[in-house]
Parts: sequence; structure tokens; C-alpha cells
Amino acid sequence: MRINVGPQHPSTHGVLRLVVDLDGEQIVSLKPQVGYLHSGFEKTMENRTYQQGVTYSNRMDYLHGFAHDLAYMLAVEKLMDARVPVRAQRIRVILTELNRIASHLVFFGTTMLDMGALTPYFYCMREREGLMDIFELTSGVRMNYGSFRVGGLYRDVPEQFEPMVRTWLEAFPKHMDEYFNLFMGNSIVLARTQGVGVVTREMAIDHALTGPSARASGLALDFRKAAPYSGYEDYVFDVPTHEDGDIYARILVRYEEMIESCRIVSQALDMLEPGPFRDPDRRISLPPRWELEESMEAVIFHFKLVTEGFHPPRGEVYVPTESARGELGYYLISDGGSMPYRVKVRAPSLANLQSLEPSSIGGLFADMVINIASFDPVLGDVDK
Amino acid sequence: MTHHEPNGATRARVLESLTELGGVVSEFKDMISVTLSKSKVIEGLKVCRAEGLEMLTDVMGIDYLTYPGHRGKRFAVVYNVHDVHGGNRLFIRVELDDGEKVPTATGVWRGADFLERETFDMLGIEFDGHPNLRKILTPEDLDGHPHRKDFPLGETPTLFNDGRFIDPAAFRSGLRGDDPGLTDWKGGARDGVTSTQGELPGEGGTQG
Amino acid sequence: MSMSLRDLFEKDVQELEAEGILFTSLEKLVAWGRSHSLWPATFGLACCAIEMMASTNPRNDLARLGSEVFRASPRQADVLIVAGRLSKKMAPVMRRVYEQMPDPKWVISMGACASSGGMFNNYAIVQNVDSVTPVDIYVPGCPPRPEALIYAVEQLQKKVRGETFDERGEKLPVVEGWKR
Repeated sequence: MRINVGPQHPSTHGVLRLVVDLDGEQIVSLKPQVGYLHSGFEKTMENRTYQQGVTYSNRMDYLHGFAHDLAYMLAVEKLMDARVPVRAQRIRVILTELNRIASHLVFFGTTMLDMGALTPYFYCMREREGLMDIFELTSGVRMNYGSFRVGGLYRDVPEQFEPMVRTWLEAFPKHMDEYFNLFMGNSIVLARTQGVGVVTREMAIDHALTGPSARASGLALDFRKAAPYSGYEDYVFDVPTHEDGDIYARILVRYEEMIESCRIVSQALDMLEPGPFRDPDRRISLPPRWELEESMEAVIFHFKLVTEGFHPPRGEVYVPTESARGELGYYLISDGGSMPYRVKVRAPSLANLQSLEPSSIGGLFADMVINIASFDPVLGDVDK
Repeated sequence: MTHHEPNGATRARVLESLTELGGVVSEFKDMISVTLSKSKVIEGLKVCRAEGLEMLTDVMGIDYLTYPGHRGKRFAVVYNVHDVHGGNRLFIRVELDDGEKVPTATGVWRGADFLERETFDMLGIEFDGHPNLRKILTPEDLDGHPHRKDFPLGETPTLFNDGRFIDPAAFRSGLRGDDPGLTDWKGGARDGVTSTQGELPGEGGTQG
Repeated sequence: MSMSLRDLFEKDVQELEAEGILFTSLEKLVAWGRSHSLWPATFGLACCAIEMMASTNPRNDLARLGSEVFRASPRQADVLIVAGRLSKKMAPVMRRVYEQMPDPKWVISMGACASSGGMFNNYAIVQNVDSVTPVDIYVPGCPPRPEALIYAVEQLQKKVRGETFDERGEKLPVVEGWKR
């Protein structure tokens, strides 16, 4: 029997359409049909300057927007040879890791929702509100931030930033402990998730699976350790890995990653020193407003940057980073103009979706629902 | 998990095997690309997988139609492979003309499935032997391949109540590579940085 | 047109209204009940969907306005909150979901992308959801804050209760406010 789990469905985590062939309750084949959120990001970004591109990047994976912003900024900075000051790097890491926690909280809440438990969802959304307040303090918006600039940040963080983050960090691990014991110790959850939707290590390598789902299958790959960027080599943190590859392992890996992210954030806060928040090179960064009253060159740089944007040299660049979903990288090709010639986003969710079919075949239809949730696809990332 | 240094021995071995297949190695800002011919590319990918670069993370297509100063074929397909520790990364390129097909990599990695379909959908590059080569992201009734440079962006002009309209293409602030702009001065990148693709005639005036 | 007493009991309130029979107090009661129990259909597409989810969390509680549950099935929903960018591939699906909703139904277009295409002025995104379904309330923002969505729901409640005005500032009767 062929069933269409349509694009509008409460549990497909966005507009994912699945065409499932069933034999009774068992799944014979499963074909994901994507593209219902295709927005032409890459072609649109090819018609905007490099700095304007940051308004687009975080709307792809809207749950971990800072990861896309960071990956895009790192690629542009590599192309321009911009030097990011240490303070800006640390603040970027803090914001990205807090956003990773927020993304995993949505994952936790919606996966439990798919299993029928309504309460964890509200607990997780309440925790997220504290994080949104921190993001609103630094970027001005709760979601879809545009606060990264080439060479650093658009402004320095206000003084309430550090006490706010520390207060949140003190409260969070205790809450998460309580929720985790409450929900993951539940025998129904254990019965539904252990041994279900298994992805072996060979399957993960063959199907281009990266991120927490791959680490749950024994593939210990994390680009924060393998190719450290933005100062990650200064922090001490573990990368949780499990061998089972089932849904329970995928949930467990993300839970442990949240704890590790808290560690990174507190270390980065301890190491935060006063300093510039942006590359002072005027060819890349806008001069501060007071300088426009004093220096003619500053006015010229300001004019060129605002009307045209900076021109990177011809060439191509790719910087791999680790988002909450897997390997994320922006492949930029510059033709010497102020708009990129080609932007290709290596978005993790599209490649991760390929593991959905092999891990669901032979299983039950009800298990497929939580299986989708456990791979944590974000359809903006899939469809770009 | 400790920080893995890119393994020099693996990289040297892979590059040697690929050069034997006729690959041309180029490097830009520590990104290593190997250009292979269409007939050798699958063999090259198998060599990569056998020698330790076991993961294919991306297949992307590039349309060089409006790239200023480009003299080669119109399209390029780039395979992004790396090892399971993430340290060694290689980009395998194939250059194609419009209408040329390239053999599929799904025999080497099953994960090339959606990635090649995306390249086909966006650029029209066909992969021989792909089990299910059809559109993946664009709607069924969209003819053409959006990421080609001759496919328009499809912008709707903004219409005001009194009849004026703004054409977004005329309001674009950025410049293309061959567009001199108001002053023909490009500002330039940091000192000492040059591009590997050579300078366009007249570009020597950058501040460097 | 002849109407018997029996019609008064058998026909639907809206049919009678269309034939010119108005029941002022009953109409107001029905409108009051409808406005305070608007159940949205889940149509979260992109980033705005996350803010729609955030408007149901304990801090900004949408349920206190009557939207107690987000019904998955459009057949049981009153409002379609289009949250996110509507791509051209998704547009026929949205039309079908809208047609499956029983009357009376309303549409809130949440966010800049649903209202006007937003920052995506390209081949892939529908530039105004109005071309697919009629829209009652537009909510600007990218994404609109949960408070903005709650304000939009409150405005829709006013519209349902008949506190609507036309372009000249004159009050519209209740049924006019509903009509397409």
C-alpha cells in the first residue's frame, strides 16, 4: 500500500513529503520528496554583496542560524584574508554554542512531541526563552540574526551580557538533568527508541551522514576538533560518541552535546578579554562614525563599502564547520566583483536525509515518525 | 578525540595515484583540487575511497558562462571528499561542456544520490547511470535549470500605487567581476594577496 | 422568495443571513463564541513557524486567547496561519489545505515572506499569499515576534466579532466582515 505522508503534516518537521510503501505496518520503501521550501537562496546570494549575504545565510537553517552565519563569514574572511580579533572570535563561539543548545532543545521537545509526550516541549521552549533574551541583547532579534560582520561583529556586547549568560548557565544543567531523567528514563520512551532505526557506521560513511547522528553510529567526526576554526582549539571539550546507532543513541548524543556546549561557553566567558570587536582594516570594515568627521580616507572607504562592497580577489574557498546537524560549509567562488560568483552551501540536512530510507526499511510505520525526528532535519537547510 | 593533523602521507599517496590517472593538481589557500577527465573521474573517486578519503560530502556544479576571462569548458562538477577524521580534504573536478554527461558516483558512494540529483536539477548536468535522475528541489512545472547563468533570477518589480515601478536589477549595489563601477578602483584585498587565476587586463591597479 | 417557518430551524445561520434575515443577538453570540475559540491549522513552513511555536510557550501563551490546540487536520481548524515563505511548489498544497477547511475560515499571513515575498524576490517564492488564498490579517516582521502574532490574533478576533471598518472609516456589518 502506498501512503503519502504529505508536506503538511504535524510530525514531518517542516514541509517534508514522504512516499511510503507499506506491507501491513512494515515499511518496504520510503522516498523523501523535498523541495517544498526551495527558496533559491544560492542564486539570490549571488546577486547580493558579500556583506548582504549574511541576511540570507541564517534563514536557511533557522534553528542554528549562527552556525550558518559563522560558516559564511569564515569563508568570506578566508577569501579576503581578514583577521578577526580574539574577542570577536570568543563572542562568536559563545553565541554559536548557545544557539546549538537552543537547536537541540527544539530537537528534544519535538522528538518527545512525536512520541506523544506534550510536557517536555513546553519545558524546552521555556529554556529557550532565556537564550532568546541573550540573543536579543546582542543582536537585537530573537531569531534570524544578522549580527556577524566580515572581520568580527557589528558591535561589542553590552555589559549585561556576561552576567546574563552566567546566570543562565548556572540554572540550565540542573533543569536539563531533571527533564532528562524524567523523560529518558521512561520505559515507553526506551522501548520505542532502543534498537529502532539503526544506522551502522558503514551506512553512515556510505550515505554522507555527518553530525550528531553520525556520532551516534560510532563515526567520531567533529569539525570543531578536526579542523578548528574561530578559536575552538583553545577550549577543552569532549565530543560524545556512541556505538549503537539507534534513535536512543542519537537523542543521547545531542543531550551530551548540550552539556559540552555549556562547558565551552563558560570557558570562553572566562577567557574573554577586552579588545577590538572587528578587523580594523578599513577595506573590509566600516569606519566608526566619529572617524568620518576627522578623516577623508575614512569617508572614501565608507562610501565604497556601502555603495559597492569590498572586492575579494578571484578564487574559491571552502571552510568546513560543525553545525547542530552536521558538516556545514559555504563554497564561495569570487570573480573579483563585490558579489560572489557562485555560492554553494554544503547543507547537512539534505545529505542526512539519505540515511532515512535504509534505517526505516523493515521497521514499523510508527517508528518512522520518530526516526525522522531523530535525524533532526530542518527543511530550510534541505531545500535551500 | 584529539585534534587530527592533516595526514601528509595519506595526502601524498592519494595525489600520486590521482596524478597517475592524469589529474592536474592545483592549490589555493590550502584547498587542494585535482582536475580529472570525464572518463577517469570515477576511477579517481574509487582511488580516493580506497586510500583513506572515505567520505563524500558534497557534489556541486559550477557554471562558468559569465566568469570574466574564463577560457575553458562551461561547466565544472566538483566532488568534495575527506577522510573520516575530517583532516584531509580533496576536491575532485571534472570539466564539461553543455550537454556532456558524466558517470555517476552512486556506485562508489550511495550518498551521492541526492547530491547528484540536486546538481542535475540546478544546472542540468546529467549523470550517466544514476538510478533516479529527476528534479529534487524545483517544482515539476519549472522548465530549465535555475543556477545556470542564463536563467533569470525572476524578480518581480515593485509597483507603487501611483504607477511607478522599481526594477530591482537597476537598484543592485554590488558589482560583477568585469564591471568597472563608478571609479574602476576596486579597493583590493590585504597586502601580498594574489589570486591564482591570474589578473584580468587592467586589474593591476589594485592596492594589494 | 418564500420562506416557511420550517426553514428558520433547518437552514444554516449564514444561509439565512444571505437571504436577508438578520438575527442580531444570535449573530453576536455566535460571533463571540467563534472569535474566542479560533483553532489554528498547523501550516508552519519556515522560520516563522518557530516563532509561532514560541507564541504557544509559557511566556507568550496563545492558548489564553482561545487557540487552545493547533489542529493537524484542516477539517477541524478555523484559522490558517501561513507561517513562512510559500514556495511555488508548495502553493497548490496550500490551496488544497485551505479548501479542506470548513467555513467560516480565516487566513493570517504571518511574516514578510508570506505577505509579500519578503527578501526572496526570485523565481521560487510566491510573492504574496493573497494570490493563492484570500488573506484577512497580514503580520509584518522577519520573523514577527510572538507578541506581534498575538496582536494579529486579537485583531482577527475583532474582525470575527464584527468590529471592522471599511476604507472610509464606517462600521461594516458582521457578515460583510466575513465575506470574501
